[in-house]
Amino acid sequence: MLAARAFEPEFLRKLDRLALGIKRARTVRAGQRTLGRIQGLGIEPENFKAYAPGDDLRFLDWNTLARLDELMLRTYRADRQVEVTALVDASASMGLPERDDKLGFALAIGASLAYIGMAENDAVRIGAFSMQRGAMKLEATPFHRRRESYLNFRPFVMSVKAGGETRLGAAVDQLLLQRRPAGIVVVISDFLVSESDVEDALKRLVKARHEVKVVHVMGDQESTASYPSGLFRVRDAETGEVRETVLGPKTAAANRRKVEKIAARVREICTTHAITYAQAFGASNLESFMERELPRLGIVQ
Amino acid sequence: MGLLNPQNFIYGLSLALLVLIYLRSRSRPTIQVSSVMLFDQAPAPVTSVRQMRTDALFWLEMATLAALTLAIAGLYVMRPRVAGQGRSHALVFDLGAGMSAREGSGTRLDQARREAMEIVGQAPVGDEFSVIGYALEAQVRHPQTANLADLRKALGDLVPMAVPARAAALRAALIRARGASEIDLFADRPPPAAIVADAASTARMNFHLVGSSDSNLAIVSLDPGIPGSTPGRALIRNFSARPQLCELAIDLGDREEFHQTHMLAPREQAVVAFGPIRSAGVLHARILTPDAIEADNDRYAYAPSDRPARALVLSPDAAVRDDIARVLLAVNANFQIETADPAKYLAQAKASGPNARPLELAVMHDCYVPAAGAASTLLIYPPQLAKNLPYAAAIGISVRGTLAGADIGSYEMGEAPPLESLALGATRIVAIPEWMDLIATAAGPGHPSIPLAAIGRAAGGPVGVLAFDVRGHLLLAPDHLDALVLTVDLIKQLTAPRDILIVPTGADVSITATATARVTRPDASIRIVAADKWGRVRIRPLQAGRYVVESGGETTQVFANYYDAAESDLGAKSQAEETTPAEKSAAVSNAQSAGEVQPLVFILIALALLALTIESALLIGHAGGWGMRHV
Repeated sequence: MLAARAFEPEFLRKLDRLALGIKRARTVRAGQRTLGRIQGLGIEPENFKAYAPGDDLRFLDWNTLARLDELMLRTYRADRQVEVTALVDASASMGLPERDDKLGFALAIGASLAYIGMAENDAVRIGAFSMQRGAMKLEATPFHRRRESYLNFRPFVMSVKAGGETRLGAAVDQLLLQRRPAGIVVVISDFLVSESDVEDALKRLVKARHEVKVVHVMGDQESTASYPSGLFRVRDAETGEVRETVLGPKTAAANRRKVEKIAARVREICTTHAITYAQAFGASNLESFMERELPRLGIVQ
Repeated sequence: MGLLNPQNFIYGLSLALLVLIYLRSRSRPTIQVSSVMLFDQAPAPVTSVRQMRTDALFWLEMATLAALTLAIAGLYVMRPRVAGQGRSHALVFDLGAGMSAREGSGTRLDQARREAMEIVGQAPVGDEFSVIGYALEAQVRHPQTANLADLRKALGDLVPMAVPARAAALRAALIRARGASEIDLFADRPPPAAIVADAASTARMNFHLVGSSDSNLAIVSLDPGIPGSTPGRALIRNFSARPQLCELAIDLGDREEFHQTHMLAPREQAVVAFGPIRSAGVLHARILTPDAIEADNDRYAYAPSDRPARALVLSPDAAVRDDIARVLLAVNANFQIETADPAKYLAQAKASGPNARPLELAVMHDCYVPAAGAASTLLIYPPQLAKNLPYAAAIGISVRGTLAGADIGSYEMGEAPPLESLALGATRIVAIPEWMDLIATAAGPGHPSIPLAAIGRAAGGPVGVLAFDVRGHLLLAPDHLDALVLTVDLIKQLTAPRDILIVPTGADVSITATATARVTRPDASIRIVAADKWGRVRIRPLQAGRYVVESGGETTQVFANYYDAAESDLGAKSQAEETTPAEKSAAVSNAQSAGEVQPLVFILIALALLALTIESALLIGHAGGWGMRHV
């Protein structure tokens, strides 16, 4: 499975120099919005300041007092509280075509973004959603901040299986019900759903003040429509709908046009709502996508 | 037009299979895709809404399969014969007793011969003919030849035999005719359809039915009775559908004992009592009324002498001695029977003195006493002797063990019908010498076939062997009647006069002879036969009547009786009789004037290939239309 690639040391080394590109300010723990760097509890020294009555004596710099006989306090940079959620579509359509390993590709991108997010100790988690027995099932890992705990994502990533329908709107509903602070949500999907569902879901994420980034994944075979020629029945993996068709060069051309049309429409929706859109077509392009395409789009820096 | 192998029409089921395939055509290979919305603009096949696609491809495939099925079934057409092609014919003749039935100026065989001559005469120059006859067995009377003189001579030499024509012999005859392209079968009754179908698969078969229903009388059996005491009986039968007069005469030697005319109702079987006859001898019953088959108008029987004859029964079991004595008296009431325990016999024999009359028959059950010295010997359940005490050379047998039980496997002797399987008790495993004739075999655990009954004529006199034990009143048990029949038959053969044999036609007869024997047949023809290393000549009477075998100054008379209910029944309502004369003649004339079979297999295969080629062209066109490089 391609997802395992995201945990290979060699691959991770290439991501070490990257950081998430975050347009908006990070929030303090109390949820107060400030501009620029903020002071607060943390482990990274920020500055010194003169003691004022009421200050926490725990931060008194005893060395300065001993040398200069002045009461000085150490100030620290507050821990950043940007929560990053990589939301991966785990519907049945992500499992097909099998040789494309589209789901593995999506999970690899999600895990890679989580790893990049940990570069700055951001709280990161990976979630996967799909409809199971008529109900939306959104599973997510706990938040992890430090890269030392990156491997905690591995069991979850490796256990995700494709199945069920894609209901982007329902997944967003469930995510928002968790009432987490606004952060960054990276939606990774093939977007083979109705345009209205895509637009509605993304719009609500934006409305909840999340910074939304969209990664549109497609497999090599799917995007190039390289199916065997002849008379076939094609069955929709999610709805079970069956359609008889003649596969051949004409069909392949029509398929490619359709893929381009879907991608163009998702991009248009993203543009409308100021969402960053990235296109990841072809699992073979994982490294170049992470190292070139995402920095180009500003999703990572 | 016709079919050479109609049973191969079963391949026509492939047409149904094709229909099923087309019915299933909607279930094309299914590919699971992430979303069918990607295929919104893909072209859909025009057949998707139909249950069955009966387009040109379907009809072409139907035509291909139909043509191949007809080719396998052997579709042919008749075409006029082309002269001078040098084809081979087989002329197969039924030579059973029925073919000797007289109709008009000749016999049925004469009629068949005439028809065969016509076929030969009409055949193009270069055609070859073979002549095959069958009755009890098949025989090639003349191999393939284009020499018409030889052929006519071979046809003229055909003689009907006084035996029934067997279906197995017909099958064998048709097998021998397989090399021919055309087989003409001449018989007086229709052959079994299965046999004809087999032959018709390799050659064209023409059946020529000869003869029509005619009246026939027959002597079914003749019982001489006991001279001077018991009347004899003759069983006569009318096979005609009309009442028939039957003038019956019975002679004893040269003297007429009985002469009477009876009126027999249609298909009646009547018992005619006569006598008792005055003395022993060969009894000859004759039907003097002219009828179709002569062979069954004569019958011979031997009236045994009324002189007393000594018989000795030895057995360690008193009950067995009593049973065998009863059977002997039933066979010949004139027997003076002595019974003894073999352990005490020698003492008794010494006490009776040397002036006692010689023994006619010695029956030894579960014992062997060489000193008995009878003219003929019957060993029942012979014991296994120690190595230093073998059976005498005149007996010739050896016993190799005992089976706890055995079943009669096969038994054919004389005029008795074959026995059905019968479970016997203890049975000896007996090895018989080569000069003995095996009469019955048995099967037991580990021994699929062991001799059960055998008889032979050695220099010391006839010797018979019965391998099964007769303890427990086996011979008198109603459930084991077949064992009694076998015993009685063997005793009759052992006590029959040496110079007179009464046998059914077709039976193998073994006669003691010196170097050569002169055999005179009923038709007065003479044949010289060499004796084998055991001093026997074997003849097989195929004509009813008296055979005389002379060798070394001794003369043996063999009287052959013929009767077969099926063969003699010329009035039987067979399939052939049910066809009208017009139909019959039409069938025959059709067989004679029919053209040549022209198989259409190559044309049909060519049509199938053409259909496949057109289908391939259509498929390539479709593939081009769908934008595919291959199908």
